[in-house]
Amino acid sequence: MTQSRREFLRTSSWAGLGLLAAGCAPKVSDFAQKSGRRVVVIGGGWGGTSAAKYVRLADPSIEVILLEPNKEFVSCPFSNLVLSGVRTIDGLTFNYDRLRAHGVRVLHETATMIEPDARRVRVGADALPYDRLIVSPGVEFQWDQVDGLAAAQDRVLHAWKAGPQTVELARQLQAMPDGGVFVLTIPPAAYRCPPGPYERICQVAWYLKGNKPKSKLIVLDANPNVVSKAALFRAAWQNYPNIEYRGSNKVVKVDPGVREVTTELGDKVKYDVLNLIPPQRAGTIAVTADLVGADKRWCEVDHQTYESVKHKNIHVIGDSTIGLPVPKSGNIANAMGKICAVAVTSLLNGRTVPTMAPGNTCYSWVSDKEAIAVVNSYKIEGGKVVQIEQKLTPGQSEAWAQNAVGWANSIWADMLG
Amino acid sequence: MRVITSLLLLVAVAVAAPAAAGPLDTQGAAQALVCSACHGFAGQSRSNTMPILAGIAPWYFKKAISDYAAGKRPSPEMEPYAKQVMQIGVDDVAAYFAAQARTPSPVVPDAAAIERGRAAAGPCTTCHGVSGKGDPTKGVPDLTGQPPGYLRNQMLLFKSDRRSPGDEQLKAIKTLMRAIPDEQLSDLAAYWSSVR
Repeated sequence: MTQSRREFLRTSSWAGLGLLAAGCAPKVSDFAQKSGRRVVVIGGGWGGTSAAKYVRLADPSIEVILLEPNKEFVSCPFSNLVLSGVRTIDGLTFNYDRLRAHGVRVLHETATMIEPDARRVRVGADALPYDRLIVSPGVEFQWDQVDGLAAAQDRVLHAWKAGPQTVELARQLQAMPDGGVFVLTIPPAAYRCPPGPYERICQVAWYLKGNKPKSKLIVLDANPNVVSKAALFRAAWQNYPNIEYRGSNKVVKVDPGVREVTTELGDKVKYDVLNLIPPQRAGTIAVTADLVGADKRWCEVDHQTYESVKHKNIHVIGDSTIGLPVPKSGNIANAMGKICAVAVTSLLNGRTVPTMAPGNTCYSWVSDKEAIAVVNSYKIEGGKVVQIEQKLTPGQSEAWAQNAVGWANSIWADMLG
Repeated sequence: MRVITSLLLLVAVAVAAPAAAGPLDTQGAAQALVCSACHGFAGQSRSNTMPILAGIAPWYFKKAISDYAAGKRPSPEMEPYAKQVMQIGVDDVAAYFAAQARTPSPVVPDAAAIERGRAAAGPCTTCHGVSGKGDPTKGVPDLTGQPPGYLRNQMLLFKSDRRSPGDEQLKAIKTLMRAIPDEQLSDLAAYWSSVR
């Protein structure tokens, strides 16, 4: 892991030098006119980076502009290990320099509006014309779904987008007195990374067992049961008697003043440290651009091209999508990004879009050294994505954890390398 | 001086530019995209545990996919994907990977481990040859340039009979593996990974 990351950064620094050679950082206004064919990608996460890179690999004559406000990418997968202190956030943080080396124009800006008829993306006062647009905005939180949450966004941590909140939650966990209560709340499905909250339970419980044995972890799950890898997680939890799991316990209210959450059933639960994962919907730009369906939450797409069913020439990938039998995972977003890139390039070149199906490999760490996994494979049938098979590891082991490290290094390079 | 600096930077940019690995519109390329999450673009794995598929002999790729899909080579990760590849068309995917130039694993093993492995590698060469490139006519694969972690894992799976349990053709290698201590397996993996 360390070696690969070092390798990654060393090569990145060469690309950084290339940027310096080109002069100062490009601005949106530099690209207000387009001379050839152009794809604009909104969002530099798992889907957007993969799509941007693979459009360039598929056809280097197409200009690709990636809009991502953050200067660095932080991986959500593996970020639960930051809470337990097994990993650092630095080890999960990457720059976008190698994407630039592929010829992707990365602009650290926020897309504010999409004009589908004019085929333009507004970025503040500027506008970027496109031939095809790929929207990969991830998820946004539905703050209004929990009473008191909107006003307490800065104090009630979600840590569900890896970054400063992850580090702060780890700090709060470490600062909690032995005998304290850590409350983790899980939103109703669908949300980003179905097994993520249950992996987080393992990591927090593992940390508490070794460092604060008198402490308790209370889990308030809006869902009736563990959403993903249920039997494997429940087996792993046998090692952590400090877990108190309560299914069908949807949190509807938070009061940070008295450090208390209230469930739909009216139960009040006191906490010393709270991690409230709010209900979610597609990223804001997908909502404002009218890409979401009647539920106003998620975007329906064609299963082979990822073109929006609502607007032509706009494709949506990653966690924002709905209707495919796939989880909202980083691996799926990566697969969608690559498939969408080839579809978009084929369409721009007037060629038939090849038939391509995604796949999903998902590891969860159940201690500092052991992991479990679920793998899904898919095919296209009647124009739709259909699952071929889902397979789980027979148990937990260090070997799966080694494979998890291999997977992470590989897929980070596939997106950003 | 400025010109020289600029030239150096241009060289740096050229070094950083991605190697052309072939267009994505060749037969099998689009179908193989799903593989790159773990096995790297064009099958060029960057990690220690995932095997490099670039340049892999089609007969060996197809045997591996077939064995994984049938559950003969047990792997919760590969079994679903192998079934996907079978349905997509294993011949196209095999031909695509075979056509990619292999860059050896970027994982560089410890020099002392490589030397210890070289000294102990005699038994491997009986089947895989002195070159380690294997023999397709006998169903023996190429070991060279693969990530050391992958090679070591496979030897451990042979040793504990968890790779293709009950396969008569693999009896000899499993007997051999059982006679070798785990630390020496790491050395052998380091050596064969380093061979070009």
